[in-house]
Amino acid sequence: MIWRLVAMIAGACAILAGAVLVAHESPIQSLQTLFHGSLGTPAAIAGTLREATPLLICGLAVFIALRAGLFNIGVEGQLLVGACACAVVAIRFPGTPGMILGVIAGMAAGALWALPAGLIKAYRNGHEVITTIMLNNVALFFTGALVSGPIKDKTQADTATPYVAASSRMPWVYQTPTVQVNFSLVLGVLLAVGLALWLKKTVAGYELQAVGSNRVAARFAGISPQKVTMLAMTISGSLGGLAGAVQVLAYEGRFYDGFSPGYGFDALGVALLAGGSAYGVLPSSLLFGILSKGGTALQIDGVPKGITTVVLGMLILIAAAIRYRKVTTDA
Amino acid sequence: MLGITKKFGAVTALDRVDLEVSQGAIHAIVGENGAGKTTLMRILYGALASDDGTVEVETHAVKFGSSREAIQCGVGMVSQHYGIIPELTCLQNLILGAEGGPILRNRAAEERAKMLATRMGFEFNWQAEASTLSPAGAQKLEILKLLWREARIMILDEPTAMLSPADANALFVSLDSLAKDGATIILVTHRLPEVLEHCSRVTVLRNGKRIDEKAVTETSGSELAQLIVGGALDKPEITSSFRPGDRLLEITNLTVKGNRGDIALKGVGFNVRSGEILGIAGVDGSGQRELFESIAGLIKPVEGAISFAEQDTAGWTPAQRIAHGLRMIPEDRHAQGVVENWSLDANAALGLQRLKPFARGGRVDEKARHRMAGEIAERFNTKHGGLNLQMSSLSGGNQQRFVAARSLCLNPRLVLAFQPARGLDIKGTQKVYEGIRDVCRSGSAALVVSFDLDELLEQCDRVVAMNHGRLLEPEAHQAMDRDAIGRLMVGAQ
Repeated sequence: MIWRLVAMIAGACAILAGAVLVAHESPIQSLQTLFHGSLGTPAAIAGTLREATPLLICGLAVFIALRAGLFNIGVEGQLLVGACACAVVAIRFPGTPGMILGVIAGMAAGALWALPAGLIKAYRNGHEVITTIMLNNVALFFTGALVSGPIKDKTQADTATPYVAASSRMPWVYQTPTVQVNFSLVLGVLLAVGLALWLKKTVAGYELQAVGSNRVAARFAGISPQKVTMLAMTISGSLGGLAGAVQVLAYEGRFYDGFSPGYGFDALGVALLAGGSAYGVLPSSLLFGILSKGGTALQIDGVPKGITTVVLGMLILIAAAIRYRKVTTDA
Repeated sequence: MLGITKKFGAVTALDRVDLEVSQGAIHAIVGENGAGKTTLMRILYGALASDDGTVEVETHAVKFGSSREAIQCGVGMVSQHYGIIPELTCLQNLILGAEGGPILRNRAAEERAKMLATRMGFEFNWQAEASTLSPAGAQKLEILKLLWREARIMILDEPTAMLSPADANALFVSLDSLAKDGATIILVTHRLPEVLEHCSRVTVLRNGKRIDEKAVTETSGSELAQLIVGGALDKPEITSSFRPGDRLLEITNLTVKGNRGDIALKGVGFNVRSGEILGIAGVDGSGQRELFESIAGLIKPVEGAISFAEQDTAGWTPAQRIAHGLRMIPEDRHAQGVVENWSLDANAALGLQRLKPFARGGRVDEKARHRMAGEIAERFNTKHGGLNLQMSSLSGGNQQRFVAARSLCLNPRLVLAFQPARGLDIKGTQKVYEGIRDVCRSGSAALVVSFDLDELLEQCDRVVAMNHGRLLEPEAHQAMDRDAIGRLMVGAQ
């Protein structure tokens, strides 16, 4: 597990160096920029952690669905509706109630958004990859329409909601003028631990993984794959929604058009890299956070940000190749 | 084959095994589960590489890197699990992988297929989908596939496991004629009567070693059985301790649709009393599967009722039925009985995960599970390298032992056993049936499906037959009459 991650990071550096070389820049200097920009200063580290937070929660959303044998590509859409619902609710209730109700609204919206995909999969065996992709598109344009009309802050030119009151925002657990670490990161870590324990220690978690590993055997063991599919999609969707709510309450303060840079999609890679344990989502979301934050620093340096995306893509391919290598050698 | 040695990790599967088979012979390979029979055959067939030893085919030393190379040298194998794709036609299945060029010439292929079939005395509708084939038909198609590829050495792994006695006899008639034409047939089997009746020589393997090789005319069933297990085999006297108890399972007028929408069960009705082991004979696909699945609550009947201990089960979920003491040894342990990439520990709870001691108030009790896994593995001597290892590290027979033992723990009240001894050797078969008899002695009951009528007659208290979705009981004076039940199996009265 650990050596795999180390090999992965080394591989990432090598691929990045190669890619930079192709772009006619100095690889060593670029790597320095990347790591300095993501881990070099306390402020950079805080920024990396900020990037890693939504990736962590979205990664867990994808991960839990994967354990039940479902590929939830719809986390991006669930994040958007979650963020939108959270903003709408949290604006109305100042203080702590606004935060709590906002989180609940975000999770409920995310779960509701995953519900059709879950129902279609469970009772009509329609493939969740197709339905969740479609729901992503609906979510993108639906929240876009809302934020340019009914829920738009009319006092501003931006297509955005009004800001959530400062008293309703998620608190900082560590704060200096340059370095800020939000409670949402703690929340994400607790979720990873909670999810890992739930899968390992509860009968419900056992049954969910039984369906994910062998649907037929699970049926013979008295488990209803339909119910488990619904449960997994509901948990996954509400985690996606939570990621959106956290993004509003911790960092952005409002919902706006073009809210997510694709956290829900990056989360697919996060969960694939994580392997079979929820704990694996922690380092893999951090790795994605480093590359994302470092990529921004590279861009300022004149190297296209797209290069880190290329590196991530390569990494996911390598991870998938390692992961599925067994299939052929066992046969 | 000379001095064949194969190691899997620390386990020596084959230890300097010699095997010599003469042309035109039907040569049997017998031995317990894990004796190395299948491994040896897979090496001959090129599906596995040996660590040491040489293989010679028709005086040429060969080294097969793959089964494709083996088939080019005329060595072919039909495995226990047929490799037939149900959606393709019989003809497409026949030529699959040996089309003879990038362009299909269906008419020429069909001509040749017909010629081969006629030579063997088989009849096929070549344009029909392979899903319409009976198990016996599928077996015949597999043999034709070998002939199509011009195999001169054919390896058959447990060819009669799924066949009715009549089909099995027909199979041996065609194997005889093949051998007379000069083909060499190697037969892996557990059934000694087949060896004695149809084979010319027999090799006995035990624990990866070649124990003996004999001409069939110079040996006997009891001698072979002794060689197989290594020591005298005292045949336990099976005492039917069955005293009819209360009615435990009552099925009336059960009609069920199969997964293709056809009627799979037609007005089936019977009772099982507590303490009773009821055997269900019949060729594969007679409705046994649907019967079990409807009792387990996995498919909803169109009509009819199933009551368990005088309670109607209509509204019960599969999980509720398990809580009431229903257990199943499923037909296909790979697909239905285990999660292959889980540990033995985790698999021990599968199906029982909501029952004590596996669960305590919705929580998994890992200590109890580990203890239970140990007991389950112990019960029928499942050979394993550690309870924390993946289920896939076990051989098929050992998985079967594990699954059978699991279904008998935690006080079952009704055991549905689909071929409970599938792939098990003599000792293993005895142990599993003894286990079933043990739970029945304490007032439970068991339904046993097997395609081996003799096994049922030997092990069950009562035997009924299924044919085309109907369940037929022999008349009272022929209750355990082999011929009478055999006739019911094929639908004749």
